[in-house]
Amino acid sequence: MAGRRIERLEHGVAFKYALLLPAVIWVFAFTFLPLLAVLRYSFSSYVMGEGITGFVGFDNYVDVLTSPSFWQSIFVTVIFVVVAVPIQLVLGFLAAWLVTLGAPGSRTFTTIIGSPLFTLEVAIGYLGVTFFTDQGGLIAVPLAALGIHVPWMSTAFGGIAGAIILDIWRWTSFIFIIVLAGLAGIPGELYDAAVLDAKSHWQVMWHLAVPLAWPVITIAVLLRVVECLKVFAIPFALTSGGPGTSTQTFSAMDYLTTIQFFDFGKGSAMAIVFLVLVSVVLTVFFQQMRKSLA
Amino acid sequence: MANRYDDEKFGNVVREYVRGRISRRQFIGRGAQLGLSAAVLAKMTRPSRAAANLIESDPVAPYESPITPERVAFLKTKPYKGTALNILVAKITVGDCLKHYVPQWEEQTGGKVNVAEVPIDALHTQIFSDLSSGLGKYDAYMTGCWFYGDFFVPKDPYIVSTEKFLADPKHAYWDPDQWIPSMRKLYSWNGKIYGTLMDGDAQALYFRKDVFANKDVQEKFKAKYNYDLPAPPKTTKEYHDITDFFTGWDWNGDGQNDWGISLHAKVNEQGFFHFLTLSAPFIISPDNKYYFFNPETMKPLINSEGHLRALEDYVKFLANGPKEQIAWTLGQGWDRFLAGHSATEPTWGDLPTLAQDPKTSKVQGKMGAAPLPGTTEAFNPITGEWKNYDLNQVGNTNGGTWHCVISRMSKKQEATYDFLSLMANKKNALWNAATGWTGVQPGMKFEYFPPIGTGNVEEWKALGWNEDDAVEYLKAYYAVLAAPVQQEYLRIPGAAEYWHELDVNISAVLGGQMQPKAALDATAAAWEKITDRYGRDKQKALYQASFT
Repeated sequence: MAGRRIERLEHGVAFKYALLLPAVIWVFAFTFLPLLAVLRYSFSSYVMGEGITGFVGFDNYVDVLTSPSFWQSIFVTVIFVVVAVPIQLVLGFLAAWLVTLGAPGSRTFTTIIGSPLFTLEVAIGYLGVTFFTDQGGLIAVPLAALGIHVPWMSTAFGGIAGAIILDIWRWTSFIFIIVLAGLAGIPGELYDAAVLDAKSHWQVMWHLAVPLAWPVITIAVLLRVVECLKVFAIPFALTSGGPGTSTQTFSAMDYLTTIQFFDFGKGSAMAIVFLVLVSVVLTVFFQQMRKSLA
Repeated sequence: MANRYDDEKFGNVVREYVRGRISRRQFIGRGAQLGLSAAVLAKMTRPSRAAANLIESDPVAPYESPITPERVAFLKTKPYKGTALNILVAKITVGDCLKHYVPQWEEQTGGKVNVAEVPIDALHTQIFSDLSSGLGKYDAYMTGCWFYGDFFVPKDPYIVSTEKFLADPKHAYWDPDQWIPSMRKLYSWNGKIYGTLMDGDAQALYFRKDVFANKDVQEKFKAKYNYDLPAPPKTTKEYHDITDFFTGWDWNGDGQNDWGISLHAKVNEQGFFHFLTLSAPFIISPDNKYYFFNPETMKPLINSEGHLRALEDYVKFLANGPKEQIAWTLGQGWDRFLAGHSATEPTWGDLPTLAQDPKTSKVQGKMGAAPLPGTTEAFNPITGEWKNYDLNQVGNTNGGTWHCVISRMSKKQEATYDFLSLMANKKNALWNAATGWTGVQPGMKFEYFPPIGTGNVEEWKALGWNEDDAVEYLKAYYAVLAAPVQQEYLRIPGAAEYWHELDVNISAVLGGQMQPKAALDATAAAWEKITDRYGRDKQKALYQASFT
């Protein structure tokens, strides 16, 4: 009996490993090996047409860490995250809450608000040029008529602000859809009870909906933070990173270095440094999330 | 010329010939009567080298003229039936020009052409990803001339010379001897031709000659600056006065304030060419031809005193145009001039060409053109000294001079060349150069009027040009292309990267984030790293070779 049990167990373990194998191969081939390749490039000098031309030790890392443009791109990316994501969260949540309350026109609104999600980011970026240009721009001209002159395209502030507005337009609906699903998952009787006890819908939202939807909200925020750290198409299409590199995000800088100019060495070092920075941020985020859920 | 009277008479003969009122034979005959050498006149108006074998047209090739008998016979066989070509182009006007010829070539040869378009800032990436990965998806690539060095990084270059196809009369006829030498150089590498004729870029100064000729305007200018309004300005000092003068008041009478200059300076576009061109006379002179690097050490010259003064000067030019220029693309800069709101624009030949379309332009027949202003003092960055000149004006070939090159990985190189040669055929090349939306500028002698070339103004008028605009434009454009003192064109490997560093740092200065000195020092430091990565000795050898 004991022998048969062991045999069955071994068979079971082998089967489990067999089931895991495709995932392990996938991760090894498409995550681990590329990461190793990036590490190797980061210690090398690379020239397009010649390949790796030599081992340069930590030179690429020194280059990256002492480069004002690199830190500028990190700064722009962080600004993007800390401004765009909270605004998207607030707007997305409020919209989802109003729809949950059954505000008039909710069904039409739900259909319309999702449409930017199906638009290419690069198209939104180029569309932004037509919004913010001083030559007949759909946003710039009416504002100018009201006496509000924003240098949308000619300053770092204007460029980043324009790109953040477009990003909010594109991604608020993402938060809305996830939070709406979270709010819909709250049992109706809890709402009914809360409405009887509370003085306003505001109290119901703050003391019932937010806490109960919190796990969903944190997931939505996490996804948006990760995506926002990679932001590329909208600001790049809008400003090309200029004036100078003042609106250049990390992804844009890494793209130009690695893909446009084939400096795989420096581009890879840049990616590794960014990976470390993001890992630290996300670790802290996860810790806080676990605490808040507990 | 014996005297002023003969000079005028010969001028009349030239004008008659330019306007197509007399034949080449009559031109030579009348010139000879005035005491000029018939041999010299014949050479000046030399027809194409294979003219004896050419016929004007044939129904089998309705889109070509002239054409060889061999070509006629070849096309009768529908030689490329079943052949499909893949060509990568930039999503710019020159790319649209190429697409214009796709149905024509397909009709004539039976072949098929698939055109892939990418934004201009992604073109370099797409080309060299395809080549360096070994994918070889495309038979030909539209290239800017500053990409050339990158094609020659591998021992076996990524592109093939077109000379063997050029010699074959079965392809569409075009004559590379018609190239203006500075243009031919850009289509060649180590003396061999690799590109097939399309574009011919250079920057010149365009101005509103009607406004400059206005008596009231002239008086106001003189009252403010104590000298006559120069049309065109000869020096950067005069040009600054002009851009300052025309900025901030309604000189065109439409109720809106207008500007003295219109530029485009969006980063990662082509705005840095403006700086290259406008800065040239501060550094390039009869005593110095090096702008980018010291040819002995490959140390950057870009942060020299001359470059610094030029950048400070450039900032002032930008200040006399709309503030948003810093984020404008090329088309936005042109639009301001074409709408009649800018008195001048230093730019490519697209501007006078686009000006001929009354649907989009208010300035047809009002276009003045001239080489860009010079300086009276230039810095030699090799010797480290300033030197005075009466007038130091510098020609240039700045721009993309966009054209196609054939991939060495293509299995259909001959068919690809056949398609490209259609656009180079005289009938099409002239149409391209004279038509605004094509983005193509004239680089061949047959497009210019005598005594430079063999063209005539009637051809341009037939394509919608104002006669005076055509004459003035081509005269100025040729003066830029053939100027005795020329700015070099950087074509070593990594040129795109060198220029990108310059581009972002200039943009940072214009955006007020950096001081000019710091920006140029940062550019020089970045260039040093790029040179080291590509190999200093290799880069030095290629840089030196580019001057031979």
